[in-house]
Amino acid sequence: MVASLQNLTVRYGSFTALDSLSVEFPEGCVGLLGPNGAGKTTLIKTMLGFLQPSEGGGRVLGCDIRAQAREIRQRVGLMPEQDCHIPGLNAVQFVAYAGELAGMPSEFALRRAHEVLEYCGLGEARYRNVETYSTGMKQRIKLAQALVHGPKLLLLDEPTNGLDPRGREEMLDLIRSVSHGKGVNVIVSSHLLPDVERVCDHVVVVSRGRVTEQGAIARLKVIEGRPIDLELKEESPAFVEALRSLGAEVEELGPVLRVRLAGSAEEVSATIFRTARRTGAQVRGMEVAQRSLEGVFEEAVRG
Amino acid sequence: MAEPGLIADLSYRDYDGPLLPPTHRWWVIARLGVRLAFRKRAYWVVTALSSWYYLVMMAVLFFFEQAAQSAPGPRAEAGFEAFLQRIVWKDQFLHGFGFAQLLYLIAALMLGAGAIANDNRSKALLVILSKPCDKRDYLAGKWVGVFLPLFTMMLLPPLVFFLYGAFSYRGYGFLDNPWFFPKFLLVIAAAAAVHTSLVIGVSSLFDQGRLAGATYAGVYFLSNFFTQLMVFAWLASQGFREGRFRAMRGESPFSAYVDKLYYFSVDGLLIGLCKAILGTDGSPQFGMPSPIQPVPAPPLLPTLAVAVALSAAFVALAWSRIRAVEVVR
Repeated sequence: MVASLQNLTVRYGSFTALDSLSVEFPEGCVGLLGPNGAGKTTLIKTMLGFLQPSEGGGRVLGCDIRAQAREIRQRVGLMPEQDCHIPGLNAVQFVAYAGELAGMPSEFALRRAHEVLEYCGLGEARYRNVETYSTGMKQRIKLAQALVHGPKLLLLDEPTNGLDPRGREEMLDLIRSVSHGKGVNVIVSSHLLPDVERVCDHVVVVSRGRVTEQGAIARLKVIEGRPIDLELKEESPAFVEALRSLGAEVEELGPVLRVRLAGSAEEVSATIFRTARRTGAQVRGMEVAQRSLEGVFEEAVRG
Repeated sequence: MAEPGLIADLSYRDYDGPLLPPTHRWWVIARLGVRLAFRKRAYWVVTALSSWYYLVMMAVLFFFEQAAQSAPGPRAEAGFEAFLQRIVWKDQFLHGFGFAQLLYLIAALMLGAGAIANDNRSKALLVILSKPCDKRDYLAGKWVGVFLPLFTMMLLPPLVFFLYGAFSYRGYGFLDNPWFFPKFLLVIAAAAAVHTSLVIGVSSLFDQGRLAGATYAGVYFLSNFFTQLMVFAWLASQGFREGRFRAMRGESPFSAYVDKLYYFSVDGLLIGLCKAILGTDGSPQFGMPSPIQPVPAPPLLPTLAVAVALSAAFVALAWSRIRAVEVVR
């Protein structure tokens, strides 16, 4: 487990930003979802030890969030949402400085800065002043400064903010590459569900300061009863009628028929194909029906 | 993601090198400030300009010595010795310090005006505080990062003059008081600390270094201007020539107020501190006779207390203003 938080309550004056929140972040890439003001950024800041919870506690990478904030921040890389840099420095100096702040000896930090900038696709622009960078480059350098000290956990706050479609694709490729098979755990805070779905294996949905849903994306998308979505070449009322006569629930979703039938997957598919042959219907597509991540999110947020 | 190269492996690799314990990060921040300052050409130009009094003084000494050696007879030698008798060595440091005040201000603006303001603009705190640093590290790092270059800039010219004097005029009383140079080091440390604290405090109020610089310069010059204006207004009402000299000599009942007003500005405070620590009222520049009496030194402890309180107030201002964007405490 990368992080585990129990009954966390964080207040800003009279406003409760996190309300007895308990969550466990597994290893791998986890999406932190939630509408604006749900408490995602507060959760990240609490995990980094910037905010002291009024109640509850937890551990990040084995360190206590109340007492070991510095140790946590040494092992974690944060890519903030806003543009940020150190004025007057070029990319190599900036990333090396971030490394030194994290505790790397200066010669190691400089060497590593070159490596990380190459990896993030800024090798050619590494001697340019960061203030002259485009939005996409600024996003990349934020990732580079977060990666420089080899963190075990990366916290990415809206990593694709302000990027054009190509830049977004490249950033998502980078995140996916670093979070799979490289020993770096990643938490991506975003409200762009397609981005999260593309790079993450798990999600945690936060709403009104509480965790309303969490788990593997593949599991959350499963619909109860495991219905089958069928695509026919053309409409066939006889086929639908025949399925219903066999005890199936058939739901017509535009060109797709969602069929719920008792039995194992093999038995269900065999029944469908037999019925189609009998009624002359042509089945063009068949798959286990899933909810979209949007559906999962909306349901979780509605509570 | 970078394309895999034929020679270099550009894929992500974990960092397996050493990591220092997560403490004392203020020094990393300070070191960057020092590094950036020393890299500025303008910094060295201002440092060189601030040495003008010492250079002129060395030239004057050299000229008189050469003239005495080249002129035949004991009168030339005696004239040179009489000239050296008139020179109060520690006052030369006071003069060098006093004449360089404007350049110290320029250096303080160059080094400190953007120290926090530019970070506010670029949201640098988000980067810095996401590493194992806190507000204390940040403020201490910024303070030391301005203080050290400023102290170095104030130190170099008098150090050169001190070495010149120590090697050339030891026999003429240059080293008679062994404590005056350590005391002078204390003076420039205090002056650098006051400038650093004030400029860091002002810098924390703004999002742009230029605005912070303009504000600090404004405070500096306005305090100077009104101080001088009040002194001159009073002198004018007393009859300028007579009043000034009488007041400076302490013969006038108003002289105490004038003396206080004289030190009621940033550079006045620093010069007052210098006089109080060195224990001198000052003497004519370049050892030349002058009818003008210097303003007496202010009392040491109250002056020091004002300097410390002012510095602490501005550091506290910076402390209250620094926040890592939004709600970091």
